[in-house]
Amino acid sequence: MEQGSLLIIASSLVIGLVAGVVMHRASFCVTASFRDLFLFRDFFLMRQMILLVVVSMALFEAGRLAGLVTIHPFPLLSAPSLANLAGGFVFGIGMVLAGGCVVGSLYKMGAGSFASGLAFAGMLAGSAAYAEIHPQWSAFAKSTVLVKDAITLPQWLGVQPVALLLPLALLGGLWLTREFRAGRMDRPAFAAGHLAPWRAAVILAVLGFASYVLIGMPMGITTSYAKLGAGIESLFAPEHVAAVAYFSLQPLDYTPPFSDQAIRGGPGPQWDAIAAIQYPLILGIVGGAMASALRLGEWRLQWQLPRRQLLSVLVGGVLLGLAARMAPSCNVWHLWGGVPILALQSLLFLAGLLPGTWVGTRLLVRFVVR
Amino acid sequence: MTQIIDIDIRGQICPSCLLLTLKELNRNSVAVRAGSAEIVVTTDDRQATATIPATADRMGFRTEVDQADGIYRIRIFGGS
Repeated sequence: MEQGSLLIIASSLVIGLVAGVVMHRASFCVTASFRDLFLFRDFFLMRQMILLVVVSMALFEAGRLAGLVTIHPFPLLSAPSLANLAGGFVFGIGMVLAGGCVVGSLYKMGAGSFASGLAFAGMLAGSAAYAEIHPQWSAFAKSTVLVKDAITLPQWLGVQPVALLLPLALLGGLWLTREFRAGRMDRPAFAAGHLAPWRAAVILAVLGFASYVLIGMPMGITTSYAKLGAGIESLFAPEHVAAVAYFSLQPLDYTPPFSDQAIRGGPGPQWDAIAAIQYPLILGIVGGAMASALRLGEWRLQWQLPRRQLLSVLVGGVLLGLAARMAPSCNVWHLWGGVPILALQSLLFLAGLLPGTWVGTRLLVRFVVR
Repeated sequence: MTQIIDIDIRGQICPSCLLLTLKELNRNSVAVRAGSAEIVVTTDDRQATATIPATADRMGFRTEVDQADGIYRIRIFGGS
């Protein structure tokens, strides 16, 4: 294996392990940060999410100006369309019903949650099922492109990224300073080995930056959910998987930093650049959370679950898998990666995610938790 | 004698812990406030050990969190 690939695999694994431990210790849940806005009018976790975005924005742009970040905007982003908005909406419903997003479910599964394991299985099924509707969905995405030839807001407005990102990061920094001083960024916690969510937000922003510098893009995992789903499907229906057009796409095609060779990858079941980048990250997050829970003596498999919740996490998982391909990509990719560089796709995803989360909470209190 | 109301929410998805606790708390708020009942939540959800005390606190109740064998018990009670 050439050195560039080894660097990618090793960095992804280490970033995943640290992220897994940090998210478990801080109970760092993106789903809760959005859901609790609507369900309990609780802004505590959303403040942590804003902190993560502001620190990432400052780091990404400082890194770009210093020449550490060499690919801007990062690969796999494209022109914004209504598909991003619709994907975000469905994603919002799915993450509330599943009790966690595509990354949150990974660390909860690592810590022994059967419900999150079931949600994960649903995500693989939903991601693979998307392949069947891809021709229609990509036609919809193409016909609803909102802005041609611009990936980020600064590109669309024709200004240098720093002209927008610096004032925004400064404003965010000022607001966060006020929140810290007012004592609204921290609250009493009684869990063993607890890590304050604001510390977790800063560490996760640094991990995203490390990923951007070393691999050429921030953290993302959901193309490999389709890949894993396709792998499982090909055990039963290999000819069908080989014939479905979506599984032969290679949307990732770039030359990573610290390498002079272009690498390619896509959602098909084969080992490629997507697998090299995302599989170690997934393994790392699950493994890091598992190690953290074992060390605290808190790891145990919990099977007892009301039937309504079993159904909810399964349906939520399938919706998440579908939405992550429709959007395309997940909340972590868009919120922790795309929003900090003001990628138009990511801003649309966020605009869809908010009403989707609201619908999800309505469904949850009406049908699931009673 | 104080009546103990047990809620076991081990393994359940977020945000069952807080929702079910709030439901019991609202249903029994008079008794809990008067000290004739208290609620004991058993959970493996680390998040709930922060959200339940914070919410109960805002509603004027008192809380205690204990941990044994990796399982958390949150006691919600009234009185001054």
